[in-house]
Amino acid sequence: MKKYSWIAVILLIVGLMLYAKPWSKKSLPSNEFRFVIVSEPPTLDWSLATDNVSADIIFNLMEGLVQYDANLNVQPALAEKWDISKDGLHYTFYLRKDVTWSDGKPLTAQDFVDGWQRLLDPKTASEYAYFLFDVKNAQDYNSKKISDFNQVGVHAKDDHTLVIDLWHPASYFLTLHAFWATFPLRKDIVEKFGAPQWTEPQNIVTCGPFKLKAWEHDYKVVLEANPLYYGPKPKVQLATAYIINEDSTALSLYETGKVDLIRRIPPLLIAKYKNHPDHKNGPFLRGYYYGMNVLKKPFSDVRVRKAFSMAIDRTQLTTLLGGNQIPTTSWIPKGMQGYEPEIGLKFDLDKAKLLLAQAGYPNGAGFPQIKMAYDTRDDNKVIAESLQQQWKQNLNIELTIENQEWKVYIKQLQTDAPPLWRLGWGADFPDPDNFLNLFTSYSGNNLTRWKNKSYDALIEAGAKELDISKRLPIYHKAQKLLTEEEAPIIPLFIDAQNVLIKPYIHGYALNAMSINILKNVEIHK
Amino acid sequence: MLLFILKRLFISIPVIFILATLTFCIMRVTPGGPFDKDKAIPPEIKANIEAKYHLDKPTFINTPAFYKKKWIHVLTETQYFYYMKGLAQGDLGPSYKYLGRSVTDIILDSLPVSVELGFYAALILAAYKHNTWIDNAAMFTAISGITLPSFLVAALLIYIFSIKMAWLPAGLWDGGWEYKILPTIALGLRPVAIIARLMRTSMLDVIKADYVRTARAKGLNEVWVILKHVVKNSLIPVITISGPLLAGIITGSFVIEHVFAIPGIAKHFILAVTNRDYTLIMGVTLVYAVLLIIANILVDVFYALVDPRIKLS
Repeated sequence: MKKYSWIAVILLIVGLMLYAKPWSKKSLPSNEFRFVIVSEPPTLDWSLATDNVSADIIFNLMEGLVQYDANLNVQPALAEKWDISKDGLHYTFYLRKDVTWSDGKPLTAQDFVDGWQRLLDPKTASEYAYFLFDVKNAQDYNSKKISDFNQVGVHAKDDHTLVIDLWHPASYFLTLHAFWATFPLRKDIVEKFGAPQWTEPQNIVTCGPFKLKAWEHDYKVVLEANPLYYGPKPKVQLATAYIINEDSTALSLYETGKVDLIRRIPPLLIAKYKNHPDHKNGPFLRGYYYGMNVLKKPFSDVRVRKAFSMAIDRTQLTTLLGGNQIPTTSWIPKGMQGYEPEIGLKFDLDKAKLLLAQAGYPNGAGFPQIKMAYDTRDDNKVIAESLQQQWKQNLNIELTIENQEWKVYIKQLQTDAPPLWRLGWGADFPDPDNFLNLFTSYSGNNLTRWKNKSYDALIEAGAKELDISKRLPIYHKAQKLLTEEEAPIIPLFIDAQNVLIKPYIHGYALNAMSINILKNVEIHK
Repeated sequence: MLLFILKRLFISIPVIFILATLTFCIMRVTPGGPFDKDKAIPPEIKANIEAKYHLDKPTFINTPAFYKKKWIHVLTETQYFYYMKGLAQGDLGPSYKYLGRSVTDIILDSLPVSVELGFYAALILAAYKHNTWIDNAAMFTAISGITLPSFLVAALLIYIFSIKMAWLPAGLWDGGWEYKILPTIALGLRPVAIIARLMRTSMLDVIKADYVRTARAKGLNEVWVILKHVVKNSLIPVITISGPLLAGIITGSFVIEHVFAIPGIAKHFILAVTNRDYTLIMGVTLVYAVLLIIANILVDVFYALVDPRIKLS
């Protein structure tokens, strides 16, 4: 009898497994689009979300006053038209009258006011409240200097007219309304269920092309076509986002047909998939750069900074990465107004050596022992090693490399940055201000410690100028100052998107902001 | 025995508080906080966020309160006190990464998945122990099970059974049994191997003992000798290790859950740390501690059942 006990145990296992979900091999409905997101969305509450994964879902549940087309031009969305006063201080948005929330209630201008009030409320503690700081009194309300929200420059004139007053003209202000933080909100729903429960599928009320059908935390988010959506209905009934942290797992699932789209290929595997028929590639408004701490020797000397920038052959880096990244010496990325590839310090060894000698380090002699830092990641390592080798070969300067875990790294950059370090910057909205503002003396993100009054003045002038033909020359000057004359940063390349998408999926367009728009997706198997 | 278990449970309460305190200290010493990001936050907004999560308070000792002579506040208006107060009431606080979601919810959502997977893996274990016949073949598996890291085993299984043969899914956890086979094997192989090796060594020791020779000399049937005298007596070291091993299986393996995209608790052990999600780190650490304590109590109980010389007191 004992002899057969193991058979009994195995039968028990099989039995249990069958019992758990009998006959679960159901065939997938053909109008379900399955894609991968790289982590659990930290939140679906658009007043609080700050990350791309949450955005991947939110952009399909909700819309703003305006939206981007595939080329990132601003198009009407919930607002059918708008007026901007001549001085650029007053905006009037006229809402569409046919928009209803997913529970059937009509959308009103007050829903925007409610959304903004919640975003700016200090108790909400929203990180992105500062997106509205151009609005009159918004900052004071957020920092508790005033407590009456009526003083803030946003009002519902009637059910379909939203009026906004700014402190100062802001050329990028219109694009902010395509950004999730400014989306309208159902105050009654948030108050009824409280945060974060109001974003659970059974509670949430939205007005975009999809509704939230299910959210199995850490596993998947399921979207369902919203029958009440004002625009053309989505072509797929369901869109399922599987949460898969590990890129190689996502790749295996793609290869075995379990998902239809993956938007991140492991960096060092891109070269392998480059000629795959499913591979699609597009620009990405994200710059990759090395910054220098200009307060520390030797990079306090502008000649050393220039020499370092000129001694790099950037095409070597992009060849190593092999994902169609674009080498760049200027800072505004391709795909954004103001992109000018001619600006910046080009690869010029003779000049680099000369500058280094003038700075007192002929052929690298006497150059102090310094380290270059990066945050632990495969592609960062490849770049750092290539740079180390190029500077050794071209300038005869030996640098040590140091890598750190992301949080430790970012803390160190913010408190006491090493002489040379890497970072990237992705656009929050497709306007040159978002890229250039980064290096103003008052920007919390300027970790180079470089402060330049004329640069600050240019950026402020650019923000106040509403005429694009007058803005671009201003940004031209600013870029020259940043990447040629003063060179506190070494721009290296503009990132690219590399995705795999099944050939039977149509209507999924890549855009340079990597916004995940699903409403036009069609499946033709 | 009931008294023994109750006593042990009672002793474990201070253990958990000491552990919570230690974890709390280590977290605060580690550079980088939950809201440190590459995109800087304006100071007034940072103040709002810190106020919301009590991170604006001093960690252990509120010195401003000391100068204001509000003596009680010196110790109570601190992050540590707020956390411990919540913990004593069974509230693990809100996650900082998954904004506002309660850590208790996160654990309740993810632990059952890991327990389910661990249960299947433990079944393999149970199946194995009954089979002394597998010996030679098992030793091969056992040695490879110990030496091969689990990510390699998982990758191999996926490569062979999902990509090449297309029999089983390469990941996900969609309810059907086919999703459970590969992760179960990948997770179960290692503990099975460890136990098999240990059992074998231990049995070889016992088999040479005098009382086994005596038993044989008495003319006892060989099967009876092995089951009654050898197996039972060689179980002690196996039981010792199976406690922690079981706690490990139940909380899952980061690698296995990561590679198979399984929504279990194990990933939080790693991701919570990289995110500096203080409350979630505390939560999963405490869950693990409680499981270990329970497993160890069970081990002690089993000792007494197996070996009458051991008395619980």
